[in-house]
Amino acid sequence: MSMSTGGVGGLSSAPNVTPLIDVLLVLLIIFMVIRPPNPSGLNALVPQPPKKPQNQQQNDRTIVVQVTSRSGGGQPGYKINQTDVPYGQLLPQLESIYATRATKVLFIKGDPNLNFAVIANVIDIGKQASVDHIGIITPKIAAGQ
Amino acid sequence: MGIVKRDEGKKVNSDINVTPMVDVMLVLLIIFMVVTPMLNNKVNVDLAKVLNPTTMPDADHQDSVKVSITRDGKVYLGATQISLADLGPKAQDLLQNKPDKTVYIRSDARARYGIVMDAIDNLRTAGVDQVAFLTKPIRQSAPPPPVPGAKNPATSHTPGS
Repeated sequence: MSMSTGGVGGLSSAPNVTPLIDVLLVLLIIFMVIRPPNPSGLNALVPQPPKKPQNQQQNDRTIVVQVTSRSGGGQPGYKINQTDVPYGQLLPQLESIYATRATKVLFIKGDPNLNFAVIANVIDIGKQASVDHIGIITPKIAAGQ
Repeated sequence: MGIVKRDEGKKVNSDINVTPMVDVMLVLLIIFMVVTPMLNNKVNVDLAKVLNPTTMPDADHQDSVKVSITRDGKVYLGATQISLADLGPKAQDLLQNKPDKTVYIRSDARARYGIVMDAIDNLRTAGVDQVAFLTKPIRQSAPPPPVPGAKNPATSHTPGS
């Protein structure tokens, strides 16, 4: 690459290209190194409607975590199978319940007025308690399919 | 690079001035740095933050079925808005030729859970039984966010008061 100038008195005012190329190479390496993050998420199962009309078996072994929204926008309430549980106790209690179980299944029922982040947090706590099958109970499921 | 010094002042300087070209290149670079994240044909959703998500590389496939639920309750299948009633049949069409019948739900953290449940209900009628909620992982350096639903963001996890 050559440049000529018409400078008076022997002065050269051509811009030095080398630093520009250095900057360009730095930017190139930066964009080669930065990769978009892999998507991650939480798996959940949806109970399917039963094939034949049958009475819902009241399985004593099912654990249902119920998240209720408190009026006035306070912290949501948590219940494990009808017993109230404070948020701090949720993980320890779930861990102790599932420590003795071979098939770890959890169902989550949430109030429709809650933010999704609350439910995502509960699913996350379920995964921390080593539950591998987490089911979501929707209004239609709760009404008996 | 060689510099040739001319002492004639009468000839026209026809050399290309590089500085404006570099300026244009930098402007284009900045434009593409800003625009590229919006190019993936996805609805912009603020995903919920979670401590232990499982990585799901299949969610980024072009033909994976993605249902996005925005904060104001709009439901999108892919990038097009859709009503809840249409969600079931259209999702069923998309899932027909796929071995892995997982539907990826990208729900905003502050979306109303009732809309999420309705979407899941409509997907259920399409025969979907496995659903994956996409989330953002929480970096270890930042403290975990407080349980949403509290008025003031407290840093402890004890409820109420």
